[in-house]
Amino acid sequence: MSRIVVDPVTRVEGHLRVEAVVEGGRIVDAFSSGMMVRGLEKILIGRDPRDAWAIVGRVCGVCTSCHSLTSVRAVEDALGIVIPRTAELIRNLMECTIQIHDHVVHFYHLHALDWVDVVSVLKADPARTAAIAQSISTYPKSSAAYFSEVQQRIKKFVDSGQLGIFANGYWGHPQFKLPPEVNLLGVAHYLEALEWQKEIVKVHTIFGGKNPHPNYLVGGVPCSINVDEVNAINTERLNYVGSLISQAEEFINQVYIPDVLAIAGFYKDWASIGGGLPNYLSYGDMPTRGYAHPEYFKFPRGVVLNRDLSTVHPVNAKDKQEIKEYIAHSWYNYQEGNDAGMHPFDGETSLHYTGPKPPFETLAESEKYSFIKTPRWQDQPMEVGPLARLVVGYAAGNTDIREVVNDALGRLNVPKEALFSTLGRTAARALDAKLAVHYMREFFGQLLDQVKANETSTFNPEKWNPSTWPAEAEGVGLTEAPRGALAHYIKIKDGRIANYQLVVPTTWNGSPRDGRGQHSAFEASLIGSPVANLEQPLEIIRTLHSFDPCLACSVH
Amino acid sequence: MSATSLPNANSAPAGYQRVYVWELPVRIFHWINALCIVVLCATGYIVGAPMRMFYAAEAYQQYWFGTVRFLHFLAAFTFTFNLAFRFYWGFVGNEYCRWTRFIPLKRWQQKEIVEVLKADVLQTKLHGPISTGHNSLAATIYIGLFAACAVQIVTGFALYSSMSLGLLPRAFTHVVALFGSEFPIRFLHHLMMWFFLLFIIVHVYLSFYHDYIEGRGTVSSIIGGWKFEKRKHD
Amino acid sequence: MDSSRNTIWSAMQSKGYNRRDFLQFCTMAAVIAGIEQSALGSVVEAFEKVERPPIVWLHFQECTCCSESFIRASHPIVADILLDAVSLNYTETLQAASGFQAEKCLQDTIKKYPGKYILMVEGAIPTADGGVYCMIGGRTAEQILQECAKDAGTIIAWGSCASNGCVQAAKPNPTGATPVHKLVSQPVINVPGCPPIADVMAAVVTHLLVHGRAPELDSLGRPREFYGRRVHDTCYRRPNYDAGLFVESFDDENARKGYCLYKMGCRGPITYNACSVVKWNEGTSYPIQSGHGCIGCSEEGFWDNGPFYQHLRSFPGFGIESTADTVGATLGLVTLAGAGVHAAVTNIRKQKLIAEIHAEDAESNHQKES
Ligand code: HEM
Ligand code: HEM
Ligand code: NFV
Ligand code: SF4
Ligand code: SF4
Ligand code: F3S
Ligand SMILES: [Mg+2]
Repeated sequence: MSRIVVDPVTRVEGHLRVEAVVEGGRIVDAFSSGMMVRGLEKILIGRDPRDAWAIVGRVCGVCTSCHSLTSVRAVEDALGIVIPRTAELIRNLMECTIQIHDHVVHFYHLHALDWVDVVSVLKADPARTAAIAQSISTYPKSSAAYFSEVQQRIKKFVDSGQLGIFANGYWGHPQFKLPPEVNLLGVAHYLEALEWQKEIVKVHTIFGGKNPHPNYLVGGVPCSINVDEVNAINTERLNYVGSLISQAEEFINQVYIPDVLAIAGFYKDWASIGGGLPNYLSYGDMPTRGYAHPEYFKFPRGVVLNRDLSTVHPVNAKDKQEIKEYIAHSWYNYQEGNDAGMHPFDGETSLHYTGPKPPFETLAESEKYSFIKTPRWQDQPMEVGPLARLVVGYAAGNTDIREVVNDALGRLNVPKEALFSTLGRTAARALDAKLAVHYMREFFGQLLDQVKANETSTFNPEKWNPSTWPAEAEGVGLTEAPRGALAHYIKIKDGRIANYQLVVPTTWNGSPRDGRGQHSAFEASLIGSPVANLEQPLEIIRTLHSFDPCLACSVH
Repeated sequence: MSATSLPNANSAPAGYQRVYVWELPVRIFHWINALCIVVLCATGYIVGAPMRMFYAAEAYQQYWFGTVRFLHFLAAFTFTFNLAFRFYWGFVGNEYCRWTRFIPLKRWQQKEIVEVLKADVLQTKLHGPISTGHNSLAATIYIGLFAACAVQIVTGFALYSSMSLGLLPRAFTHVVALFGSEFPIRFLHHLMMWFFLLFIIVHVYLSFYHDYIEGRGTVSSIIGGWKFEKRKHD
Repeated sequence: MDSSRNTIWSAMQSKGYNRRDFLQFCTMAAVIAGIEQSALGSVVEAFEKVERPPIVWLHFQECTCCSESFIRASHPIVADILLDAVSLNYTETLQAASGFQAEKCLQDTIKKYPGKYILMVEGAIPTADGGVYCMIGGRTAEQILQECAKDAGTIIAWGSCASNGCVQAAKPNPTGATPVHKLVSQPVINVPGCPPIADVMAAVVTHLLVHGRAPELDSLGRPREFYGRRVHDTCYRRPNYDAGLFVESFDDENARKGYCLYKMGCRGPITYNACSVVKWNEGTSYPIQSGHGCIGCSEEGFWDNGPFYQHLRSFPGFGIESTADTVGATLGLVTLAGAGVHAAVTNIRKQKLIAEIHAEDAESNHQKES
């Protein structure tokens, strides 16, 4: 029996540490630790609820804007504010934008190096890469000359002896199974994606003024529309958004999706590794008739238990029995004691580190080993994320979701069960992006219709002034962030924040086990995974990356 | 019938003598200062909370808000140099305007503060003579006022330093570094405006009040320079 | 010189540029950097000789939006920076290696290039309770920072977190979050902003590479080049400000005409940043252009100066909406009322007071006369 410590887990947002116990080449136990905390839930108390979006926006710059959106939803829910339809469409466009951006950056820049061996690129025949590229996609940058240029660039880079971010990677590991030509394709698109990702975020810049961290507003969106004015969202701005969506459609459908499917074809063994938990939670998102009407969301809300796709269980995030956060293995205190589970409306954030004094070697022996709290739905652990989103949607019979999922399963020639795996998670993320860009086009068309009909109001001023607020109010904001189900709970008292709690996707997935010993998603999916070489824990980071961990989010 | 038996105020001055307390430079300082502070408060307030005005015209057709700010800065410079002059005059002017009169270090000054406080707040009668220049309480409050002026000048010029290449404002750039950013500076500068407004209310009221209870021309002294003092018994 | 080491010249050769292209590139770089023609020779030399400078990018208490911003750079694009201009040897967000292999990248760099490597820090450093609120590889952020700072050639603090503490340092700062410059003895180039603008970040790096020295800094350690002016000084809505034309409510008539956002709380007048000139995401827009006031994200303590929808913070200790003005006006009214009451009381006592004063005066006159 031996122990592997991976700290830092790189190519994730933030400070993730994983300790795994390996026996006979398989993981028998795993400990996932969030190693950084900022105490934002405490910092929020006493502030103006209208400022909260900006503060919680800084929870994360990777899924940037998700927390801001969730926050304004929470405040609007508490105060009973309904935003104009035009504002809803703009928010949807911005949300689709981060969905797509985050997924692409995750796949190419955070995840790809788990599947693509950069060094083997030097052995590739660019002409064959070109042939492969042309066979799977109509993307124009696919000539042999193009791939050869990329190869030359990598060669010079490797020859320089300064390997930069590629130094000490697990190159040559037996788990790398792509032929050199496909590796070259992957590396070329690594660079291509790096250039493209800075384009799509301009949708945020146009409507929100900047990216990362675009601006939001309680009651709507801050930008005004006026097609007779250069100082507002006008035809030029709308055209700009339109062309960014076109670029995104091309990139997702002609680069991202084909790449994922091509790479997945070589790694079908990973369709039975890393499945982890059998339960999936999605809050649903992309409102089409207001946030108060989840029945019209593009992505349905619900829970699937035990991978039983015949039933979708309803979710009520306000129900004090449904969602609770535990701290049995987390560095916090609850007034009611370590074993209590707190509904986030009454949640507490009282830091109490009890781990070893740094520097230390191991955490697994300590009772508490993470700053991540442990959320549970009806006391059960849930996986959240793009996969959960699709699984819940699939189970709910959503036609768009069924179509993309069935199409991908068909093309890979794998059964539905393949979804519940490391590979399934990675593929689901790509399909999620495909849906997002599809909806983006739809929302954009509807936005133009609004403009045409001269219904351009983007802000509801009724409850802007705190003197119009009740003395006490509470609300929940729910969002499907790129990494999954995100909830913000706010309590407002006398115009100020009395309590604010975030339960974040990576809090669900990356948390430590609960008091009953039930593992959360990271730990559950690592247990049982093979590890070929204890010195090169490629399998561990592969499965972890399939969740796209975000530690700043998970702890906040 | 002797004047002394007349029971009305006009009949009293026989026992007083005229004293020249406020020299012309002090009076000029006072009124320039008063004017500047009123202008600074008014323009500063508008800078902080501009009213809705002229929304029918386009930006290139008007500059009123810029003009208000300009007036603020104009008054600010006048105010600063005027105060610098008064600082100097406090070393060379007559005995009534000296700095030593402002700072209540002596026992009689402290006693007088208590005395005046009683007269002002409890409205007791003034016992015995109080200073012919500033009474010691007023003088102490003026020290506070001068300190407030200094704060306004430091914070004001610190804010102004980013808008100017002038040597004087530029000398205050390091103040920003001291505070970390302009946020607290601007807040303090704004907050201090209210000190001035409160001062004006109290000061003007007390001037008339003392004029009234002392009955020796306090208010007119800051215009004409003369006060009345009871003749010493020989 | 070891010919296997990559210089910018050899990097360009490998991309198929010839010597003339290279000289042209140097001239452009020099012009951009403001170097006189006569000094051009030294630029050429610098690019020919210098091996790609090693960079260590540390991540502490952060949201990683600074890294995210950095990869949005458009001129130069980040792939060119990473492959051709620098050698990014350690950055948890992007590097291939994990765990001890990653830590080895860090150790190798600081051992091999003492005094030469550029240390870039993203995030604040928690100092409360022994630094346990951010630990990597079992060591605290502060231990790691100190080790890396000791032999660093240049230190850059990315973003407001590393330069002034940012959100985690907002009251009550539960983890003792501290900016870099308060913990290290060397000078630090502060590049504040939440996050800083991508092209500003790229330009700060380029400035270092081209000149081989830090850009000129102001009294807060910020490059003058980008933090020398307020957002307000170059804001395109400034004519509306001077004309007193303000947005009164979001999406009102005035908002749709692009009037000044000052009354919606814009902090542009007290915020030093390049947003209104460089703008965001390849010059696409900036907060004000998209209708929201500047919240002052590059200024120390901006989080504690809310609410963001009035241009000065609320008055501490009173309701959320109480400004200095509401407090001041209340005090003013109380004072006025006090003076009024005082005057009334004085008036009632008038007869008595006057009588007493005259009695005294009469007596003293009488004494003199007799
Ligand atoms: C009695 C003295 C003064 C008072 C009562 C006063 C009051 C004010 C007030 C209320 C503001 C508006 C602050 C805000 O809400 O943002 C202001 C702004 C300002 N004041 Fe003063 N001030 C005084 C003296 C000065 C002086 C001596 C200067 C020196 C130059 C100065 C320079 C400024 C500047 C630069 C601003 C910012 C204006 C802008 O950005 O447009 N002030 N002042
Ligand atoms: C913004 C308004 C004002 C300010 C800041 C102000 C300030 C001052 C200061 C600093 C002094 C001391 C003068 C010196 O020693 O140089 C003074 C004296 C005086 N001021 Fe004003 N003043 C203001 C308005 C007025 C007004 C409107 C009156 C008239 C009713 C007035 C009446 C006097 C009198 C009578 C004195 C002499 C007081 C004494 O004997 O102690 N002041 N004032
Ligand atoms: N976990 C997480 Fe996020 C996402 N997606 C937020 O809600 O990444 Ni930073
Ligand atoms: S400065 Fe702002 S953007 Fe950068 S890491 Fe800190 S919170 Fe994120
Ligand atoms: S919008 Fe802001 S930065 Fe622009 S002019 Fe108005 S106050 Fe200044
Ligand atoms: S909020 Fe920040 S992004 Fe620029 S306009 Fe203000 S400094
Ligand atoms: Mg939480």
